[in-house]
Amino acid sequence: MMDFSDHHGHPDEMSRPKEAIIPEHDSVVDALPGLVWTALPDGQVDFVNHQWREYTGLSGDAWQMAIQPEDLPRLLECVRSSISSGNPCEAEVRMRRFDGEFRWFAVRANPIADASGTVVKCCGLNWDIEDRKRGEELLDLAQKAARAMAFDWYIQRQINTWSPEQEALYGLPPGTFDGTYESWKNLVHPDDWPGVVTSLKHAQETGNISAEYRVVWPDGSVHWLAANGLMFFDDQGRPFRMVGFTADVTRRKQIEEELRRARSELAHVARVMSLGALTASIAHEVNQPLSGIITNASTCMRMLEADPPNVEGARETVRRTIRDGHRASDVITRLRALFSKKNTATDVVELNQATREVIALTLSELQSNRVILKTELAGDLPLVSGDRIQLQQVILNLLRNASDAMSSVDDRPRQLLIRTEPDADDGVRLSVQDTGMGFELENMNKLFEAFYTTKKDGMGIGLSVSRSIIANHRGRLWASMNDGPGATFSFSIPCHETARTDPKRAARNG
Amino acid sequence: MSTRPLISVVDDDESVRESLPDLLNEFGFDAQAFSSAEEFLASDSLSQTSCLLLDVAMPGMTGPDLQRELTVRRQKIPIVFITAHHDEAVRPHLLAQGAVECLFKPFTETDLLDALNTALRI
Repeated sequence: MMDFSDHHGHPDEMSRPKEAIIPEHDSVVDALPGLVWTALPDGQVDFVNHQWREYTGLSGDAWQMAIQPEDLPRLLECVRSSISSGNPCEAEVRMRRFDGEFRWFAVRANPIADASGTVVKCCGLNWDIEDRKRGEELLDLAQKAARAMAFDWYIQRQINTWSPEQEALYGLPPGTFDGTYESWKNLVHPDDWPGVVTSLKHAQETGNISAEYRVVWPDGSVHWLAANGLMFFDDQGRPFRMVGFTADVTRRKQIEEELRRARSELAHVARVMSLGALTASIAHEVNQPLSGIITNASTCMRMLEADPPNVEGARETVRRTIRDGHRASDVITRLRALFSKKNTATDVVELNQATREVIALTLSELQSNRVILKTELAGDLPLVSGDRIQLQQVILNLLRNASDAMSSVDDRPRQLLIRTEPDADDGVRLSVQDTGMGFELENMNKLFEAFYTTKKDGMGIGLSVSRSIIANHRGRLWASMNDGPGATFSFSIPCHETARTDPKRAARNG
Repeated sequence: MSTRPLISVVDDDESVRESLPDLLNEFGFDAQAFSSAEEFLASDSLSQTSCLLLDVAMPGMTGPDLQRELTVRRQKIPIVFITAHHDEAVRPHLLAQGAVECLFKPFTETDLLDALNTALRI
């Protein structure tokens, strides 16, 4: 009873909910996260909520001032059609904020009918979509900038969700891709399809799509595409959706191909150049003893044909012929030692021996450049491990550079000193010192760049190739200026593992 | 003692220095060999040499260097170059400088004899 009397004892309270309908309604409308309004068929706005007024800084009477003029006809049309048809209507318009800034809003207008069912006005809700618009613009911009197009493909349902731009990447007219796996397969270059399948299998394991493949357009032209994205799976673990970007990378691929071709041409040029110079050296080395052989044989013939025959003289010429024959044979042996080694980087190399072989083959070239060669090869040099041929190419290059650097030197001896010695940290060092023109200090680092050269007829690839060879041997190649004229180029590489643990060496060092 | 023409050989290669003089003797010439241009310039043979068989590439003074030096000294000795560098581009250059011939090693005795006969006729 108490409860009842309490409940009914205050008539004011009883009437309160009825009166509160309007203010509560208003407060709900005001609290909506959007701009609410109602409009009459003539376009007159008879209500705006608090949010609307706060955003625009205007009263409802002046509502048209809040709409971007370009967008106003669209909005009026939306209101009119909603009232006349009785159906909801949507539009996107820019609205001016109180401070003058325009932001994008989505507008949804619903018709309101009176008791008789006649539509008398419509009620609209506008919500801010500026951030979404910005995102779309950004996406659009990003897609354009990356020459990439987003795809979202429901594989099993075979729904074509490719945008016209995505279709354009495949050379297809808009709306002509039927969304089937089979159709897609037919667009991909047959040679690249196995790679695509591999990428898709990988995507099934990792969820990440990453593939580069060629597509053949209907006009027969071939284009490179790169697809990157995510794969989603259904309850049974089957892929059902792929989302990501496709980009046309034809230009990049062309550049890569040009670069690859240029690199291999460069390597070829470098090889041919050193081979050409080497061939000349070899020919010289072989021609010398051959010349001796032929001269001796001619002399021998004449001595034997004389009357009486000069047998003792002939015997001497034959002896020299044999010696020269061996000399020619030695050249060939050295040559084989230089070339017959296979292409591995695991040989045990005696650096002094390797150096002597290079010297033997370049001596004539050095001599023709009037270079006086001195050698100081350390007697107890540890073995190194590496590619003998490659190391010899480096030595050859350093010798030739040193010789070339002195080609214009006439006021002092063209002296070249090649030295080997144990280096700190269990390494072996080889240095080539010349009395040439040296180099400018500021060009020190440029020396090792490809195509940098101070020679008139140089290509500028020798030192850069040499440095990469030495780097591959875990060593380093550097240049320094001499106290006197000229420069010294040195490299240092770690010695062979067993040499380092050699007890004899350890004892010596200890 | 002899009226046979003296042929001087200047070459840093030992095989050549040992073999050529014997052949030249067989041809009927006197011959002397020198291992460098400097050695030849310092010798008595300089004024008696009828023809010079001269290597192109040598350490120190090269064959062409010696050719120039002889021109400077007004020593008109016919020169036949002998070189193991088979470089066709070098030949016309040497001939233009006044050399009688430029033989590429290895050369035949006929080529050598022809070159010497040409040189001695000058």
